[in-house]
Amino acid sequence: MNNLIKSKKLLGCLIAIVIAFLVPTFLGGASYLCLIACFVTIYVIGASGLDVLFGYSGQISMGHAAFYAIGGYGAGLLNKYLGIPMILAMILAAAIAALIGALLAFPASKLKFHFLSLATIAFGEIVYQIVCHSPNRITGDFNGFFSSKLDIFGLKLDTNVKFYYFGVICVILFLVIKQMIVKSGTGRAFVAIRENTQAAEGMGVNVRKYKIIAFAVSAFFVAFAGAMYLGLVGYLHPDMYLQKQSVLFVTMMLFGGSASLAGPIIGAVSIEVLLEGLRTFEEYQMLMYGVLLLIVIIAMPGGIVGAGRDIKSRFLRRKALKQAGKEGQ
Amino acid sequence: MLKTDGVTIRFGGLVAVNKVSIHVRKGQITGLIGPNGAGKTTFFNCISGVYKPSEGHVIFDGKEIEGMRPHKINEIGMARTYQVINLFRKMTVQENIMVGMHTRLKSNFWSDMLRLPKQRREEKFVREETEKWMEFVGLQDMADQQAGSLSYGKQRLLEIVRGLASDPKLLLLDEPVAGMNSKEKEEFDALLRRILDLDVTILMIEHDMKLVMGVCDYVYCLEHGTLLAQGVPEEVQNNPDVIAAYLGGDE
Repeated sequence: MNNLIKSKKLLGCLIAIVIAFLVPTFLGGASYLCLIACFVTIYVIGASGLDVLFGYSGQISMGHAAFYAIGGYGAGLLNKYLGIPMILAMILAAAIAALIGALLAFPASKLKFHFLSLATIAFGEIVYQIVCHSPNRITGDFNGFFSSKLDIFGLKLDTNVKFYYFGVICVILFLVIKQMIVKSGTGRAFVAIRENTQAAEGMGVNVRKYKIIAFAVSAFFVAFAGAMYLGLVGYLHPDMYLQKQSVLFVTMMLFGGSASLAGPIIGAVSIEVLLEGLRTFEEYQMLMYGVLLLIVIIAMPGGIVGAGRDIKSRFLRRKALKQAGKEGQ
Repeated sequence: MLKTDGVTIRFGGLVAVNKVSIHVRKGQITGLIGPNGAGKTTFFNCISGVYKPSEGHVIFDGKEIEGMRPHKINEIGMARTYQVINLFRKMTVQENIMVGMHTRLKSNFWSDMLRLPKQRREEKFVREETEKWMEFVGLQDMADQQAGSLSYGKQRLLEIVRGLASDPKLLLLDEPVAGMNSKEKEEFDALLRRILDLDVTILMIEHDMKLVMGVCDYVYCLEHGTLLAQGVPEEVQNNPDVIAAYLGGDE
């Protein structure tokens, strides 16, 4: 029974991967549509990272745009001023972000939900200000920051289609890492903290240590996504890292469904497609996030994945009842 | 096993526990009784590290442990249950027990992420042990149910094995039979004996006098934060002060 469920899930993952690789073919290689697909891969990694923090260990962050910025600018600066190859600079920048995340979590791990969200908003604002008014204007301030597009040791990802394949490979790697972490003793400690912090501590879970780990992992994911953005577009502007970027990550994760593998993927795909479809109404973006968040919180607290699970269990229960009825006759 | 020496806990001007000294002997069941609000749970929280005593010492297994963090105290061999059930409600029965084993695991974040052979072996061990503990209290058929969906009595049992899974030397039980039906209560007697057989010493807060008088080797009675009486169950039961405290006194 267990093996059957496992192999079913594995099959589902394989099908999803095949579909993901076929997307450029479906889109007929249209450059603009492929660009959007590239953004989706970036957001899947970002939203999944936030899911480790919020979905599994129950810690809110409304300032993840900060890590997104650290990843983007970090990779760009390491590449430009130290001559580190871009792909290594991306990983290094993500590692630096993880370290900063851990340092932030050290005091922030004492804070409860709404105070934590205020603290992370403040952190997001600090990073935004540094990016806008950088020492020696190394980030280019409001002129933006330019860099060359990503090439991996000579392999140039100069078209959106090529970048998309790179993006999908990154998504697979990051999601495997995420599953390894959450389906283990570490993941159980995360969920225990989310479910009942007092009992988790009573059962020997070092709450502070695991909160710090969750923050660091989540920062690593989001920062790498930020670095991917730079590799794709080759340009960064401070206004990409406003509060609304943090809200976007939260919206994607909640809309798709937190504490799941599929949730952040579904959330990133549907929200990105929706936003692109409504591009003409861009000034109403914040309004749309707000409405979407309200819908999720009120109508489907588990997001799309949670709603799917509910329907499935209701269906199974009805089937079981029918079965019982038949046997009764 | 466990000794407290003049433990006092103050919250501002309020003295919740006043110079309480108890001694829990290895291999015994020690009972802690007293009317509501006597400070029993506060005292428990102090032993298990939730509060730090304002004065006095807590000596566990020869070590002074006052002021240690709860997760450290669990690590050195003390597990507990709570008066208000504190399960991980959305985790399954199996996962709850697995969390209980947390301090016994050597794998860390990196070995978890990289799925090193050590980690795989340990996960297998965790599954086998968990199976054993579920059978210990008869929850094996509910392995995949959410803890929050169990009956009250079953939740109490789950909380106890979650504590036992950490392989403790001392188990603190805070009103373990509250909310159990009479059949479950009857079986609980035997369960306590089986826990003793595992070389686990028990300190228990309980209001159910029949249970306390039946199983405890030694009983302490608290009232208004002070130790009112102590002794073998019969002595305490017949102590006029204890009777007065429970029935409201007759001064």
